[in-house]
Amino acid sequence: MIRVLPPEVVNQIAAGEVVERPFSVVKELVENSLDAGARKVVVELHDGGKERIVVLDDGAGFTPADLQLAFVSHATSKLGELADLDHIASLGFRGEALASMGSIARATIRSRTEGDDSGHEITCEGGALGEVRPSGCPRGTRVEIADLFFNTPARRRFLKTGRAERARIQELLGRLALARLDVDFTLMADGGEALRLPAGESLRERLVRVVGRRVADHVVEVDRTWGNLRVHGLVGRPEIARRDSSLALLWINGRLARDRGAQASIRQAYREFLMHGSQPVHFLMVEMPPDEVDVNVHPAKSEVRFLDARRVQGLVHEAARTALTAAGERPRTGAGAVQVGEGKPRALTGLPSLPGDLFGRDAGRVSPGGGSRVAGIRARADSDAELDVGAPGSAAPERSAPPSTVEPGDTEPSPAREPVFARIAGGRFVQALDLYWVFATDDGLVVVDQHALHERVMYERLRARHDASAPTIQRLLVPEVVELGAREKAWLLGHAETLAAEGLLVDDFGGASVAIHGVPAVLSRVRPRSLVESLVGGLDDEDAEALPRLREAVVERFHSRACRSSVMAGDRLDDREVEALLEEASRCEHPHNCPHGRPTVLTFSGEELERFFKRTC
Amino acid sequence: MKILCDRQNLQDAFSVVGGIPPQKTPKPIVQNVLLRAADDRIVFFATDFELSARVTLDSVKVLRPGEVLLPAKETSALLRELSEPTLALESEEHRCKIESGSGSFVLVGDDPNEFPAEPTFDGTRTFKVPSAVFLEMVRRTSFAAAREETRYAINGLLLDYDAGNLRLVGTDGRRLALTSAEIEGGDEPARAVVPIRTLHSLLKAVGDDGDQDLEITLGNSQIAFSLGDVEMISQLLENRFPAYEQVIPKVADSTIEVDRSLLEKNLRRVAVLSSGDVRMVRFEFKSSSLELSAESSGVGRADLSMDASVDGNGGKISFNPDYLLDALKVSDLETIRIDMTDDATPARFSLGENYTYVLMPISGS
Ligand SMILES: Nc1ncnc2c1ncn2[C@@H]1O[C@H](COP(=O)(O)OP(=O)(O)OP(=O)(O)O)[C@@H](O)[C@H]1O
Ligand SMILES: [Mg+2]
Repeated sequence: MIRVLPPEVVNQIAAGEVVERPFSVVKELVENSLDAGARKVVVELHDGGKERIVVLDDGAGFTPADLQLAFVSHATSKLGELADLDHIASLGFRGEALASMGSIARATIRSRTEGDDSGHEITCEGGALGEVRPSGCPRGTRVEIADLFFNTPARRRFLKTGRAERARIQELLGRLALARLDVDFTLMADGGEALRLPAGESLRERLVRVVGRRVADHVVEVDRTWGNLRVHGLVGRPEIARRDSSLALLWINGRLARDRGAQASIRQAYREFLMHGSQPVHFLMVEMPPDEVDVNVHPAKSEVRFLDARRVQGLVHEAARTALTAAGERPRTGAGAVQVGEGKPRALTGLPSLPGDLFGRDAGRVSPGGGSRVAGIRARADSDAELDVGAPGSAAPERSAPPSTVEPGDTEPSPAREPVFARIAGGRFVQALDLYWVFATDDGLVVVDQHALHERVMYERLRARHDASAPTIQRLLVPEVVELGAREKAWLLGHAETLAAEGLLVDDFGGASVAIHGVPAVLSRVRPRSLVESLVGGLDDEDAEALPRLREAVVERFHSRACRSSVMAGDRLDDREVEALLEEASRCEHPHNCPHGRPTVLTFSGEELERFFKRTC
Repeated sequence: MKILCDRQNLQDAFSVVGGIPPQKTPKPIVQNVLLRAADDRIVFFATDFELSARVTLDSVKVLRPGEVLLPAKETSALLRELSEPTLALESEEHRCKIESGSGSFVLVGDDPNEFPAEPTFDGTRTFKVPSAVFLEMVRRTSFAAAREETRYAINGLLLDYDAGNLRLVGTDGRRLALTSAEIEGGDEPARAVVPIRTLHSLLKAVGDDGDQDLEITLGNSQIAFSLGDVEMISQLLENRFPAYEQVIPKVADSTIEVDRSLLEKNLRRVAVLSSGDVRMVRFEFKSSSLELSAESSGVGRADLSMDASVDGNGGKISFNPDYLLDALKVSDLETIRIDMTDDATPARFSLGENYTYVLMPISGS
């Protein structure tokens, strides 16, 4: 039953522009259909929705009495009391959408519920409400919004071309649909079918239709539960990372929403895989009790606020990270193995060592020589152009004339994904340009960047060491006093407890100042003031979580240390050093990228080589 | 200008000022050292605008008075390489020819008239302290001052004079070193914060030898040091030094005495296995021993026990070993005293006559 909300509830509701463009009309109408339990939703656009938008569903429908209230502002069946605002399970809750459409367009709702023998309809044109009249129709609802902004020509002028509006709507519908695999969606544009998403397909199948095969082929499944919190969906492999965050999508209880904190946590999980500045691709659904998330923060309902943001962030981070890690170890079919030397790799100074008994390891430096390497061969690829393949994450280079039978995207050598290091360790290789090791495997070629790989190994070593130890605080004898903006100060003090657990001790110093009493001992050489300034720097979101920022500062330190203590391009390594490094790499969590996100290894399968040499034609 | 002089003397004098010209500067002329010859003596003068130094050398023969600028870096390097006992310097235009044995070197300087003039000094208040005493005070405290240029006054040492007692204090916010000496200087109290750089230059310029008095003159914004032939004038830092007396603990739960050189040695050994990420050595004071331990996950662990006389309950406390080693190195006591309470309270080390070191522990969160 639709009720008019009591005024105090109305005031609690974030008011604002509900309808800006055809896009928002479709969003509101489709959400209404989903709230009404529809199994099938059809959206029809005429001239990108500028002329007419129709949304048809097979949901619960309106009774004639409900129809009477449909265009009344703050009339909703979804919320009655103020307390209800705390646990909104439906997509709509303001009772605002239809009312605003009725005031800026010619709107008609025709609907029939299960119990009614016949349907009814009502119109509202520019705010002028019509009568409820009988009108035959099947069960469900048809909402038509014609001549959007006919009475506000100024706003009409802001609309883009029909094509542009339609493209946005198609993207939107796809995104709404990704969260509702049980619903059948159709988009009709100017009489033709633009998109059809049958119910019951898998998320990956739907992804193929919505964003294309390339993305759908490079995503990894995620499903993690933590108490009453669940995260599931797909995360993209690093190689499909993008410049923008348009495919970094998050749904909270089925609602497509932005949440900077959670999104930052996911980005952080990707950090080691991605080149600086590229954005991950992910399709993650967070499910949680509705009373633990506030959806009423943004007029377009596109932002949310969590009761326990840290928990959500932790879980999405965890989920993304685990999925990526697990995926990194999945063997690629058909990869051949090289003969692995029987000899146990030795620990060498400054290079990877084997775990094991602290005092039992063979620490002697083995004299060089006698290796299987063809020493001193400086290999140079003479077909540079073909081998210059670009790092994953960067745009694939245009190939001048790809063989017509091969899809261009398929000819790129892939960053290795199988446990390649364990297999090549001990194998024969040549050192090229004093930087790359080139291994011939049964399956093709493997090229390793020694600096990038060593950096990765060092980084994980440093981090493991750090993670294993409890946070320690270097206390300050003389507290350092820092002046901050009011917002920054409030934010910092609001997170004081969290930060203290990680070793940063701050408290109020009165006025605009805070006093720093201790810093994480790992960062003891960093100036306390700059640490705090970097924590609050660029704080544009009061909800930003403090912990990821602090961790970032810590991790940053490991990056630079790992880089500094790694073998460089030009350092020639002994066979046994190479072997030991590969051994340790094979045990790394993310061996395939250096901490800055560059690949450490590239594989060229026999097939790929054939393509390079155009033997496939 | 033309002079004849002893090479070693010239080299020594030059080294007093040779470190002052800045390596990088938008005004390259100050990368030179001014040499002025008159009345059978020469003066070297160098400045970086904040700190200037002047040294006079008497034992020279001035054949023709005059002025010339010598590029600091090249001149230092050249003087180090020459080995003949005497040198002849002769200037013409803005060039200086140095002749030594069979070698002849021409250094191209700049116009001496463009060189900054010696600063006028506004000081009135004078203190006298044996130079060896003052230099030792600087050594005892300067390592504790902050390295960063930016943290307000504490990349300098505080000179705090009151009723015949001069204190030098250095702190970087994590530790504090304080030392004092009885000196001549009148009744009025005085305070100034002197840049570390100035004091390091002073250490370099005046040797430890001799018990000559160092004259320190304080102005409003400047300080001058003068000793024999050497005079230095430096800008002071802003007089904002933390209230250091408040951070020196007055009471402690335990008082421990340990052998200094043994502690230093043992600390070095144990510190080898404190990991590179968090430099930390654990101290545990038992009834009559001090147990030192450090751990570097994945690398190893060190445990070491040494005698200590412990008055009080003892307990555990951890420090950055480097911070403590810095101080132990300059202490001359056989037995030092440690006053500690817990791992959130600063510990106080008595490291010598009138030498106190306060160190903030590292604690778990
Ligand atoms: N397709 C539909 N099928 C059945 N009932 C609907 C449908 N669309 C809207 N309604 C009813 O009309 C009411 C008003 O819809 P409207 O979209 O204006 O508000 P809302 O969905 O409650 O909140 P919001 O403004 O946040 O969208 C809803 O509460 C619902 O009861
Ligand atoms: Mg709605």
